[in-house]
Amino acid sequence: MELSPTPLSALSAGRADRSRAARDARSARLTKILLAAAVAAIAGFGLVVSDAFILTLAGYTCAFGLFALSINVMLGGIGEVPLGQCLFFGVGSYGAAIGMLKLGLPFEAAALLGMAVAVVAAAAIGVVTLRLTGAYFSIVSWGLTGVAMVAAINLEGLTGGPLGMFGFPPITIGPLQLGTPQTYFYVTAAMLLLAVLFLVAVRRSPFGAAMESVRQNRHLAQSVGVDVTRVRLKAFMLSAPLAALGGALCVPYAQIVTPEVFNVGNTVDGLLMVLLGGSQIIAGPVIGAAIFTLIPHFLELDPNVRILLFSSVIILIMMFAPGGLHQLGLALRDRLRRSNDADQSR
Amino acid sequence: MELLLQTLVNGLVLGAGYAVVAVGLTLIFGIVGIANFAHGAYFALGAYACHLLTGQGVNYFLALPLSVLLVAAVGLVTELAVVRRSLYADAHHSSLIVMFALGQAVVAALILIFGPDPHPVPSPLGQTTFTLFGIFVTAQRAFIFVCSAVVLAGFGLWLAYTVKGQQLVAVAQNPRGALYSGINVPMIRTLSFVLGVGAAGLAGALLSPIVTAYPTMGHGALIVGFTVVILGGMGSIPGAMFGALLMGIANALFETFVSVSWTPALGWILVILTLLFWPQGLLGRAQLHRH
Repeated sequence: MELSPTPLSALSAGRADRSRAARDARSARLTKILLAAAVAAIAGFGLVVSDAFILTLAGYTCAFGLFALSINVMLGGIGEVPLGQCLFFGVGSYGAAIGMLKLGLPFEAAALLGMAVAVVAAAAIGVVTLRLTGAYFSIVSWGLTGVAMVAAINLEGLTGGPLGMFGFPPITIGPLQLGTPQTYFYVTAAMLLLAVLFLVAVRRSPFGAAMESVRQNRHLAQSVGVDVTRVRLKAFMLSAPLAALGGALCVPYAQIVTPEVFNVGNTVDGLLMVLLGGSQIIAGPVIGAAIFTLIPHFLELDPNVRILLFSSVIILIMMFAPGGLHQLGLALRDRLRRSNDADQSR
Repeated sequence: MELLLQTLVNGLVLGAGYAVVAVGLTLIFGIVGIANFAHGAYFALGAYACHLLTGQGVNYFLALPLSVLLVAAVGLVTELAVVRRSLYADAHHSSLIVMFALGQAVVAALILIFGPDPHPVPSPLGQTTFTLFGIFVTAQRAFIFVCSAVVLAGFGLWLAYTVKGQQLVAVAQNPRGALYSGINVPMIRTLSFVLGVGAAGLAGALLSPIVTAYPTMGHGALIVGFTVVILGGMGSIPGAMFGALLMGIANALFETFVSVSWTPALGWILVILTLLFWPQGLLGRAQLHRH
């Protein structure tokens, strides 16, 4: 019997292509609308809000949101819990501080230096630690932040020791004064938006698909020819400069960099943001960051009450909606729809 | 020579304390199948329970077992309410995050209830020291060493010679096979979690007269526990004991002869070297793939 492609399958393939093109066009339009809305929201927020404290806090939230995005490249991207991600956050902060104070670089150059160091560090660390998965990876990456903290405390000549580094010159990016709350907010929000767009592009690229296959089933991905080790390393090296950028952009807010940036508590905060917003939505961590900083601010919570509250929320989320809070909404919608259907059929 | 001997003894005593923490951790990993990131919180709970009981006028030697029972009870409640449910959620990293959050929540609760300051725990052994062949040992440290050794030896005998102990070993080796041969696997898992957490509580209560009780005390214990457990091979009980002694002695030697301020980094460096050259740990079983 002769095997030849039947016209039917060719037709259906063509149809699949067409429907995919339509879907791509629709999602491209959606992206544009969302982008316009985000730009409008950022511009509007910056213009309407005049309270310097709120603006600065919002700017800081955006900077920390970058860190949350970085965590989500690992968690939502390849399915690892990067407890040590604050290593790169700290490298970014220290990079900016050391660049400005010790090397006399302008802020943007110092931040870029921090990001470059973070990428190199991620490559070196990743080669060793990404052979591990799951709890092993989390524990070892967490341990490395402990080593980094010990190093930051002991290398006083470079890092200023336990007291940290402070007394920065006015921080500027070109003509933009980051000391001004409004400018600070616009700069961090713009960076965050660029990072989200970049990650959307990554997710749609073949590399994004490879990452998703690794997350869903590493062994299957390997068996169909995805170079799992390479994809994991690339994801790690992608996440590092994002965290470093977040760390550098927190410096104008905090005005001090201490060894405490390597505290695992920072990673936990970022992780909370990711889980609140949902790890499978690219902008999820940003939404989580907003919830995470704004709610405690308006409720005036004690930091420990905040930890207790958010930790309990995390436990509940992981038990009932491991994909993020929006999953509860979806479940609720399904249930409502089902009960509606039941009503109609009666 | 005197200094070396003294350092070795200090390391041995330190290692005995680590061993109790690490055996609990490795037991939970081997049988329940989760990396218990809340282990340090139970360690702190043990110390606080001891602080509360001795504050009520209970003798330290009586407060010690009572604290362990209290921590085990808390462990039982968390196992039934949280661990059991999060374990079977479909995302494989969920148990890790849940345990971590649980630990954070307990520490935050401790700070809210008792305040961030350290609380002393009085021990009748006090500051007594004695000299043996020219080596100084404080009575409390000697007590910790003896107590750890007795508990660990008792646990080993229990594993080897009782039906429950053998069931535990069976579940560790092959949970499905154990289930098919009629072992109540969920019950064994709960039991292991409670035992492991109780061990953390015991270690906390034992160490509390030396280090006092403070909310974040479990942090260091957790890190040491994980380094020891990875060194010895996750899930391996002899590995945990061996790793603990090795780590205790290595820490003491490093502290005395190299640098005090860099000591916290030593454990991680050993762990990374171990994972590079003996990926399954020093005494661990080689596995096809890991959790």
